[in-house]
Order: sequence, then C-alpha cells, then structure tokens
Amino acid sequence: MKNQGALAELGKDLVGLWLLATASICIALVVNQLRDHPLSLIYATKAQRMDVAVVKVAPTVLPAVEQSDHPQIISMPEFRELAENKKALILDARPEIFHRLGHVPGALSLPREDFENGYSKYKSLLEPNKDQPIAVYCSESNCEDSSMVADALVKLGYHRVMVFKGGWGEWTAAKLPQEGHQ
Amino acid sequence: MKKLFFNRWVILILRVILGGIFIYAGSLKIESPQAFADNIAGFQLIPNAFVNLLTLSLPVFEIIVGLMLVIGFRLRIAAFSVLVLSLVFAVALGSALARGLQIDCGCFGEGEPSTLKTWLSLGRDILMGVAALIVWRQFASNSYSKVSGDYGLTP
Repeated sequence: MKNQGALAELGKDLVGLWLLATASICIALVVNQLRDHPLSLIYATKAQRMDVAVVKVAPTVLPAVEQSDHPQIISMPEFRELAENKKALILDARPEIFHRLGHVPGALSLPREDFENGYSKYKSLLEPNKDQPIAVYCSESNCEDSSMVADALVKLGYHRVMVFKGGWGEWTAAKLPQEGHQ
Repeated sequence: MKKLFFNRWVILILRVILGGIFIYAGSLKIESPQAFADNIAGFQLIPNAFVNLLTLSLPVFEIIVGLMLVIGFRLRIAAFSVLVLSLVFAVALGSALARGLQIDCGCFGEGEPSTLKTWLSLGRDILMGVAALIVWRQFASNSYSKVSGDYGLTP
C-alpha cells in the first residue's frame, strides 16, 4: 500500500517533469525565432558549416586542391621564427573574444566560427598573393579550429598554409610576447 | 546526521545554490547556441537531427527549474527535475570518458576539450545530483499541499 502511494507520487513527479520539458521546448522555439540569427532546427557540423562558408567567399569556382597544398604542421621554433621575423601572415582561428584578450603579436583574427565575415574583412590582404606563407593557430593542441581554417584556405587556393598545433597555450607557456588586453 | 541533512535551513541553502547554478548555467548556454550545439554533438550520443532542439530547450529548462528552486515554486517537481538532469548529465559525461572522447561539456559556456575538465564536471554533477536528491527526499516525504505550504518562500 505504502509502495503504491510512493509510485503514485513518483508518477506525479514524472508528469511534472514531462510538462516542464514540453513547456521548455515551446518557450525555446519562440525565443529562437526572436533572435537576430535563429539557430536552424537541423544541426550542421563544424565541417559542414565551414564548407558553406568557403563556397560563399569563393570568388568563382573552387580550384582543385593538390596534394602538395595540404596544410603543413609546424613546431614551436618554426612558428616563432615566422612570427617574430614576420615571414608569414599569422592567423588566429580562435573566437574573436579570445583574440581580443591576447594574441601572438601581429596575428589577425580569422575565427573558425565566423570564417565568412573574417575572410571578407581580410580579402584585400589575402587574395592578391595566394602563394604567401600563412600560419594558423588556435588555443592548444586539442583544438581543431586552426586545422579547419587552414583546410578552408587551401580549398580557396592558398598554397603555403601551415598549422601551429601547439597554439596559444604553447606560446604563452613559453612566456613569449603577447598583444591584446590581458 | 539525517537531521542535519534534512534541516530546513540546509534545504533552503541547497535549493538556492542549486537553483542559482542552474540559472547561471542556462543563461550562459542561451548566449551562444551554436557553440553549445557543437558541445552536445561532441558527445556523439544523439542523432544530429535532435541536437539543435536539445540545444535550444535545455538552457530554458535549466533556467525554469532553477527559478522554481530559488523562489520555492513546486519544489518537489523542481528538485526531481534537477535530479533527473544530473543523472542524464552523469551518464553522458561517464560515457564520454569511457569512450575516451576529448570533449568540452559546455556545462558553463565555451571552453576547450579536456579529459580532466570532463572528470571535474562529472564530480560536480554527482555533487549536484546528491544535493537534488536531498531536497527531493525532503519534499517527497511530505504531501504536495504540505510541501508548497511549509517550504515555499520561507525557510
């Protein structure tokens, strides 16, 4: 008898949970429609979104990617040499807020999540010379933003794209100079 | 010991802390839905077709139950909901760790994928689950009407 009462109470809790979940879904859908940029109801992976961004910024037809064009992974000493002697264009693929907080001196912000706008901003600097060395970094070795931005640049026809896998984490751990508002 | 855990002041503190955490966590997730969708997809537990629906609904759900806990409205259901959420989160985090996935749980906004952080999130989640269980047990031992009357806005 006591167990039946407890089960009935648990049933009420489950119904309450279900009602709350349903109400949350309804409110969430309305709130989403009120956003400036509503989230699509179908999820697109980071790679799919990047492909869409590449097609949008591509001047005409995307050039064929050759094997030799694939991004090259570079080490900390190599990246440091490029950054300190301005031998390459340094791109920061982290979200823009992190770039503002601190970045490798001279690095430009080209966030993976906002590639379309970022690329359009630097188009005049990038497109005249697709053979210039470009080194991309993100937060640390686990992040995939730098590789995705580098791949996108290769698809857009850039021939000398490099990825510094150690990223901002390795740069700051080595206590190297920084720019931005730390 | 039992008396300590079920002391009405302890219950009040637990539900305000839990509620505050859920309101805060929900607000952070609402701010950047795309990043949170990527976090959810990273768990590789639900089909992509449902990722964005969950992305949009979960923060709203967290804020609602958080507010219910803080203001003392339908506390039993609110505590039960937090308990169930904590269990779901624990299963998701535990399965990611078991599969060796390097993820960012997105529990409190954006971060970098890290196994250590996933372990810490699991620990924090278990603590929240225990707190929710204590609050729920307190109100489950009372009837619905008594609960809202005795343990509503006042401790």
